[in-house]
Order: sequence, then C-alpha cells, then structure tokens
Amino acid sequence: MTESATMVAEAAPTPEVKAEGLDFGVFSAGLDEPKALTALRRGAYESYKTLSFPSTKTEEWRYTDLSKVGFESYAPTRPDHEVDEAYPTMVQDVLDRSGDRSGIIVQRNGRVVHAELDPSLAEQGVVFCSLEHAAAEYPELLARTLDAAEPAEMEQKIWTLSLAFSSGGYLLYIPRDVRLEAPVHSFRIIDQAGSFVASQSLVLAESGAEGAVIDEFVSEDIDALSVHSAVVDGGDNATIDYVALQRYGRGVKHFSIQHLISRRDARLGVFNVQLGASLSRGDVSSRLLGQGCDSRMHALWFGDSDQHFDHHTLQLHAEPHAASDLLFKGALSDSSTSIFRGLIRVDPGAQLTDAYQTNRNLLLSDKAKAIALPSLEIEADDVRCSHGATIGQVDDAQLFYLMARGLTRQQAERLLVFGFFEEVLARIPMSGVRARVLEAIEGKIGV
Amino acid sequence: MTEALLEIRDLHARVEDEEIEILRGVDLRVEEGQVHALMGPNGSGKSTLAKVIAGHPGYEVTAGEVLFRGEDVLELEPDERSRAGIFLAFQYPAEIPGVSIANFMRTAANARLSDGEEMDIFAFQRRLMEKMALLKMDETFATRYVNDGFSGGEKKRNEVLQMAVLEPALAVMDETDSGLDIDALRIVSNGINTLTGADDKLGVLLITHYKRILNYIQPDHVHVMMDGRIVESGGADLADKLEAQGYDWLQEAGAAV
Amino acid sequence: MPQNETIEELGLDEYKYGFVTEDKPVFKAVPGLSEEIVRQISGHKDEPEWMLEFRLKALEVYESKPMPTWGGDLSTLEATLDEIYFYLKPQEQMERSWDDVPQEIKDTFEKLGIPEAERKALAGVGAQYESEMVYHSLKEQWDEQGVIFESIEDGLKKHPELFRKHFSTIVPTQDNKFAALNSAVWSGGSFVYVPKGVKVDIPLQAYFRVNAEKMGQFERTLIIIDEGAEAHYIEGCTAPVYTTESFHSGVIEIIVNKGARFRYTTIQNWSNNMYNLVTQRAMVHEDAKMEWLDGNLGSKLTMKYPSCYLVGERAHGEILSIAYAGNGQHQDTGGKVVHAAPHTTSQITSKSISRGEGRASYRGLCKVYDGAKGAKSNVECDALLLNETSRTDTYPYIEIDENTASIGHEATVSKVGDEQLFYLMSRGLDEAEAMAMIVRGFIEPVAKELPLEYAIELNRLIELEMEGSVG
Repeated sequence: MTESATMVAEAAPTPEVKAEGLDFGVFSAGLDEPKALTALRRGAYESYKTLSFPSTKTEEWRYTDLSKVGFESYAPTRPDHEVDEAYPTMVQDVLDRSGDRSGIIVQRNGRVVHAELDPSLAEQGVVFCSLEHAAAEYPELLARTLDAAEPAEMEQKIWTLSLAFSSGGYLLYIPRDVRLEAPVHSFRIIDQAGSFVASQSLVLAESGAEGAVIDEFVSEDIDALSVHSAVVDGGDNATIDYVALQRYGRGVKHFSIQHLISRRDARLGVFNVQLGASLSRGDVSSRLLGQGCDSRMHALWFGDSDQHFDHHTLQLHAEPHAASDLLFKGALSDSSTSIFRGLIRVDPGAQLTDAYQTNRNLLLSDKAKAIALPSLEIEADDVRCSHGATIGQVDDAQLFYLMARGLTRQQAERLLVFGFFEEVLARIPMSGVRARVLEAIEGKIGV
Repeated sequence: MTEALLEIRDLHARVEDEEIEILRGVDLRVEEGQVHALMGPNGSGKSTLAKVIAGHPGYEVTAGEVLFRGEDVLELEPDERSRAGIFLAFQYPAEIPGVSIANFMRTAANARLSDGEEMDIFAFQRRLMEKMALLKMDETFATRYVNDGFSGGEKKRNEVLQMAVLEPALAVMDETDSGLDIDALRIVSNGINTLTGADDKLGVLLITHYKRILNYIQPDHVHVMMDGRIVESGGADLADKLEAQGYDWLQEAGAAV
Repeated sequence: MPQNETIEELGLDEYKYGFVTEDKPVFKAVPGLSEEIVRQISGHKDEPEWMLEFRLKALEVYESKPMPTWGGDLSTLEATLDEIYFYLKPQEQMERSWDDVPQEIKDTFEKLGIPEAERKALAGVGAQYESEMVYHSLKEQWDEQGVIFESIEDGLKKHPELFRKHFSTIVPTQDNKFAALNSAVWSGGSFVYVPKGVKVDIPLQAYFRVNAEKMGQFERTLIIIDEGAEAHYIEGCTAPVYTTESFHSGVIEIIVNKGARFRYTTIQNWSNNMYNLVTQRAMVHEDAKMEWLDGNLGSKLTMKYPSCYLVGERAHGEILSIAYAGNGQHQDTGGKVVHAAPHTTSQITSKSISRGEGRASYRGLCKVYDGAKGAKSNVECDALLLNETSRTDTYPYIEIDENTASIGHEATVSKVGDEQLFYLMSRGLDEAEAMAMIVRGFIEPVAKELPLEYAIELNRLIELEMEGSVG
C-alpha cells in the first residue's frame, strides 16, 4: 500500500530521553529473591545502561515520542512490597461472571497476590505460577522461554527495562500432549498513582500441548507506567492462543513487547485488544521457525479523546510451508490516533510461504487520524504474500438506515463499530474468551 | 509368496541434482487391507519415501524397485500412478485458487474413465455429497477453492475427502496428523477409519511424526525409519516404546545396518 | 481436445487469426506520416473544415511531444512509424447489408465468425477493415428507439452537432503523444448514442481487423450514454502475422450521463508484431456506473490503461483487466480512476499471466481529489508467473488529497509451482490439464464476468497456450 503523504504526519526530532529517576540500586537493594531472578535482572540492567532510548528519528519510533513519557518520574514497584491482598471489585466482578478456567493469577501493583491452578493439571505437570516462584523451582524453564525471544534492536531498551525492573509476572508451562480445556486467566491491576510496573508473561508449550491464556490489564484512571514483555513459545504441533486485553484507565502509558515463536506444525493465535491507556505502544513479532506452522495475529482497538495507539508487527518466515496471517483493525473517534507499521519478512529458504497482512481503520471523527504502513521483504521466489490497508469512515447510508430505525447517531455508530470488529471477534477461539473480550469492548464503547 | 499391494525393494533416492541419498535402501511390504505406520525423527526420509512412491519429479531414484500389485511403477508419471490406484495424502497440500473442490474432483474422477466417457454430473455430485457426509463436512465445502484459505485442519480433511472420492487401493498418508489440534485429529482419524472400515482391501501407509494419531488409528505394523532406512519393525507396541524412550536407543541400531 | 496428435500437429502456440487476405485496397497512402497524408485522409472522408484544422493542429502536437520513456520499450517504434501506412481504404463505401461487403473481406470476417455471432445475440455490429468501417448495422428495434450506432465518419456527417459537442472533450489532443497522433490521422471506429432511459440489453459489437502488412490502424470511438440509459459495447481485435511491425493506436471517448450504466469490453488478440497503444477514457457523471472489461492477449507491446473520471456524486467506476504475456510480449496494462466528486467509488481488479519470456506489468493510478469526501477505492492486482523467465511488475500509484477517502490496495504474485502441478497430477490429471486448471482458476474471477462466448474463447486460448508450454 502506498500511503499518501497527507496521511503521514511530520515528526520533529526530539531531545535524548532521560530516565535517571529509575534507580536500579534503590530498586534492587535488599530484594530477597531467587538467584536466577537476580541474575536475570542484573544482566538486563547491564545492557539497559549502555542503551539509549530511541528518538523519533528512529523510523520505528517516529510517531511515539519517548522523551514525553517521563520515565524518570515513575517509581518502580518491587515484587516484595506491601499490598492489600483482596481483589479489587473490578477484578472480582469479572471473575464472578467468567466461565470455566484452568487457573488464575492476580497481580496488584507488581506483586502476585493470588495464584491457583486446577490440581488435575498440576498433576499432569502443568506449571502456572509467579515468576519468582518459577525462578526458584523451574529456573531452566524460565531460561528456556526467555532465550527463545530475540528482541529487535529498536526494542532493546524497553525490553531490558522490563526485565531489569521486573516485578510480578508469571510462567505457564504445558507439558507434552497436555491440553488445557479452559483458559488460564491473568490480571494485572495498578491502583497506585505514580507507579511503574514492569512484568513478564512467559508461556512455554511442549510438543502437542494445547491451551489458551488471557492477560488482562486494568487500572483506575491514574498516572502510571506499565511495561510488559511476553514470550509465547509454541513447541512442535502445539496449539496456543494468547489474548491480551488492555483496559487500563486514562493516564496510564503502556508499552508491550510480544515475542511469539512457532515451531514445527505449531499453531499460534494472538489477540490484542487495546481499549485503555492514554498511550499504548505494542510491538508484536511472530517468528515462524518450523515447517508447517501457522501464526495468526489479530488486534482490535477503539480510541477516543486523545488516545494514541502505536502498533508494530513482524511476521518472520524462516522455514518453508508456513503460514501467517495478520488482521489489525482499529476504530478511532474524537482526536485519537493510531499507527500501524507491519512487515512480512520471508527468508531465502522459506519457499511456499503464505503470508498475509491486513490493517483496517475506521475513522469516526474528522479529527481522528490513522497511519498505515504495511510492507513486505521477500527473498524466496515461490511464495504467496499480500498486504492491504484501508482507512475509511462509517458509511453514511448504513448510518442513515440505522437512524431511520430510531437509533441515535451514537448508538448507530457504535453498532457499526461492532460490525467492523466482528471479523476479528469471530476468530477468537473459545466462546468464553470471546464473551470476555466482547464484554470489555461493550464496557468501553457502550451499546 | 503372493503379490503384495505395495512392495518396496532396496529403494535408494535423492533430491534431483544433489549427491546425498535420502533413501538408502528401503524395504517395505504392505498387503491389502493392512495399516502400516511409519515413524521416525525429522529428516529420516519418511516424506521423501511418500513422494517417491507418488512420483514427485523433484526426486531421483538411484536404485531399487517400487512394485504396486507386482508392477514396477517407477517409470510411471504421477497421474498414471494415481489412476492406477495409488493415493498420496499430502503433508502440505497445494492451494489452487479459483478451482472449486467439486470441479477438481470431477476432473480427477473423469480422468479415470476411458476416452470419450464422461461421468454424469448429477451422479458425481451425489457421490461427492455422500462422501462429505461421511466425513461430517458441510455441503458448501465443495464450492470452495482447493485449499485456498483453508485452515490446517481443513486442508487435511480435504485430503481425506479426496481419498474417499477417488477410492484408491493404496493410501500413503504423509503426516496427515501434523498441524492438527485434538478435535481436528479426531475428525480426520474417524474419516480414515471409516474408509478402511468400508473397504477391507484398502492398504494404508500412515507416516507420522507424532505418536498421538495411533491412539485413534490402530496400525497392524509399525516401522521406524532412520537415516533413509527402516531400522525397526514391530506391532502397535513399538509405537509405545518410541513414545517412552524416544529414538536414541535405535541410533546405534541404525548405525549398525 | 484431440488425444493423439503431437504438439506440432495441434499447431499450438500458433496464432489462429494469422491468415492473410489478399490486399486489394481502393486507396493506399504512401508510407510514413506527413501533412499531406493528413489532408488526404480528411479529403477522402469529405470532412468539414473544422475537422481538417483539428487534425492538422493535432499533427503539430504529436510532433512536439517526445516519445514516452516509461511503460514498454518504444525505442524502435519511431523507425516503425516511418514505414507504416497511416491510411488504407479497403472499399468505396460502407455497407449496411452483409451481402454487399466485398467477398475477400467477407471471407475474412466469416473466418473470424462474425456474421454468425451477429445472428446470435447482438443489437448491432460494426466491422472495421484496415482504416475504414466496412460494415455497420443496427437492429431495427433499437433504431426506432433513437439509438445511434454508426461508423464514426457517419456520426460526424449525420449528427454534426452532437458529434462536435463531445468529440475530443474526454481525451484532448494534448493528453498524450498517441492521442495526438490518433487525433491527426483517425479513421474508422464507432459513434454510439443511447438516448435517455433506453436500455439496450444485448451487446453492440465492433470488430477490428488489420490485414495489410505495415499497417497503422487509428480508430476513434465516441460513445454517449444519456441519462438513465444502459448499454454494453464489445470490441474484438485481430491481425495476421507479418515479420514487420504494425501499429494500432485507438482513442475511445465515453460519456456516461447521470444515472446511466455502460460496460465496454475489449478482447484484444492482435498478432505478436503489433504495437497497441490505446487511450480509453470515460467521464462518469452523478449516480452513473462505468465498467471496463479489458482482455489483452495479443500484441508485441500493449500500453493501455482504461480510465474512469468520476465527476458526479456517487459515480462508480470499475476496471477488470486480464493480461496474458507470452514469449516476446509485454503487456503494460492496468487502470486509472480519478475521484473528483464526493462518495464516488471504484474497483480495479487486474490479473496477469506471464509465460516464457513474457512480461506483464500492472500500472495503475488511483487519484482522489480534495473534496471527494467519502470516496472509496479498492485495487487488487494478482500476477501469475508460469516460468522462471517470466516477469511481472506492479506500479500502483496512489495519490490521495482527501482524508476521508478509503483506499485499499492488495497485490499478490504467485508462481505455478512444481508442487501445485504435482498435487494435481497425483490426483490423476495429466500435466497440460493440470497447468490449464491452475491458470483457469487464476482468471476465474474475471472470466465469470465475460459474456459466455468470450469466456469460452478465453479458456480455449489459454488451453492452447498451456498445451504449448509443457511437453
């Protein structure tokens, strides 16, 4: 897709980003934690120190100005800090209404306050626990999962930041041929203004394993910083669905890096639903490392007021006979903005690749703005690849039709937004998960 | 000895224009009505064997024989082998956009008739619908383009459907279970079982990378392939042993051959 | 298909329309282009003074414009143009009865199956041989309703006001070098007018045949579909195979008035020594719908980008294009849509097949002017490569000056892979059948839009081409 110049805003170069307020010495002093975790964060911090935050001169960061985030003004939360262990009502409500689940982990302000797993799954060797617990009991699983990630250069600063100040987070391990009949559910709650929460979601599925994960991010309307990194490693013939549901309150700035790895014959599905936060930047990369694997990446976002969403995606085909599909759809009202920059990369040996990439944007106001920058890099000569991007508005005829039936303009628009999202919603695998996502969207945009 | 459905004798093969042999002396005998499972680690030559049996032009047979009902088929083109009764269920079925499954299957069924003969279009339609019902497929499936935009599970089901429609004497199933989740695996396995149940002469060579499918399809014989040879053969219990112990214990055996 | 013939016996890869009819013109200009030739053409046509002036001015424009440097290779075209005959009059007058057409010309068109087609289901038929229309007829029923379907010359003679009001308004002389050339030496083509509300529900058809060697054909067509009217016009083009190059440069101007619908179908199957540089453009008014269905199978080089200028609210333009580039052929084709009014919509679908050393390029423009609120356009181009040596390029130019526009672009390139062939053969299809099936599937979305006899013809051509490509 060749975008017109008018869709692309000019960004001025910015001064270097400062984050000296993030004092690692203060943060890590006296932390009583497993050695594996200490080593991990120290190693990450060493790299973090030597890197600088990318400026808007870096193509990938052109539309999100890190110098305005004010990293130094937030206080990192520690995994051992005091918190009220009761569930806030916003979580309890969801849990009461959600259907079956295989396990749950609740994390509040960077501390895991509750973790449970269906005992029959634990018996079969499934692990679902806090990162601290994993570092103590399963350091090799932890290392294996993290080693599978290969953050890109432009991700390094945020990636190392998330590990150095890691607090909370979890590991899910599904052994060979074990199937989770119901999803595991994770909640991250921030209700302490001014806090900086960094954490990981690590998912490791062995050959033939099957399961689904929902990562839910919630907060009050407070000024806070969230940095999240996820690794989902689907082993040979594994089936994994990963859903991230971000419904932070306004004032939160959220950065997330997701690394998905598909090995031979694996099937990975990823759903990113972005509803909250003032600034939400997501980097999703899917590496297809085995023959016959299949990766599907999806995202939905709905922006209002001056929300800013910035999405970067990579579909990397390293082996032949693999398929990847990407469908990112965003609806934007008021003066919200969204950026989509996607790359399909096909390595020389990856013949008979099928790779598709689609970004669709629905503008609900004249001030809303979408930028779409899809691209392809193909070095194999027998592939099927396509990309497409659209930026459009609500169809007046449809709107009129609905209003002629008595709906207000707003109701009609909202209904059309649901119609627009349906294509992605229909692909969410488990009906329970789909219902949860639908409920969250309804919660934001009303019906 | 009576004539086997498929008899492979000391088969050697390599990728065209390359030196290294992938098949290095395969011997295998499949009788009518038998189900043989062929297992083995990545790169052991299982898929190559399947393609060589079907006549893939990218491979060159350097020695040995592939006898189908006593006739050497190595000189036959892939379409001739197909019409003779050999069916390959592909590991990676090709996508043919714009060509409906119904049209494709009718063309393939017509290719089996002698010159000038043509199948009654309505009779064929009935037959296709019957087979689809057998595999619990929706009728609209027939109007979709061959493998175009199919999920992994749909592609594999489509392979089994084609097998049902073309009614081969020998089905070589190359990793028909790969890339399937449990639900899809059950559907595909049921389909295969239905076909072997309906035709007690159908011979099946089931190539698999994962033992899981053998929980659903009971093999008469299990073979292990390593480094281009069959290094171990046995009953269904061999698969359990492989599941428990992996392939390492066979490594030495392989080296010794 | 016969089963036992060898490839040679089948005459595959040979051009079916390559036969030559003996050349017996009543007037043949000297080769090359000059003011004198232009005056001769105008004189033969007994034209009004304004048209001669128009032609002479166009000649100046043509000479002042440089050869395009984009698109196909035109480096030897200038030399070719010095050699070709710009005007060749095959008979004294145009006939309205098929029986009156001279026998050789009749034989030619009989071989092309034209009277047969007319008997079938056409509202009207026109046939151009060399530079002039030799035959034009319209069924009485349409005549009575005020439909005009004439040769362009008769259009000028019989309907001078309507003609002059619209002629060259859609494709001005200055538009491009070849439009200027056509404006100077145009001869033959159709003049069509469908009055308000008249729905011509069966196609009007024109055949273009170049028979003489080193011939240049410059037909000019002007079509006006008035408010609420509907019509479908089909043209077919063929020529014999000579060793020297020939040249075809038409200009097609179309006006689709408010609420009208029009479809223009071309199946171009020129021989492989023909330069085919054509300007086709439609002005589409409020609530009107224009469709171009463009099939390019023949020629040495085709540069053709049917265009829709969407100038009225809710106007809709559609371009469906299919190109086949065999050995030595370059099809540089595509489409142009210009959105100049609110809520205009367009769709471009392009499918190309390259075989052997053939090259197919998609060149498209989607332009949305500021103020064309809610304009929607979608461009899909798919290319299929049959051999390692085949080539395809995609040049989708998108210019958007309106931020409420919705624009989509999708492109795919695929190769007929060994795996696809093996897959089909493993189900019992022989290689040629398998190849033809893949190609038929590829063009299916376009073929299903063609009138049945053209779809069959297209499939037949492709089957022939495929037979030649394997074996």
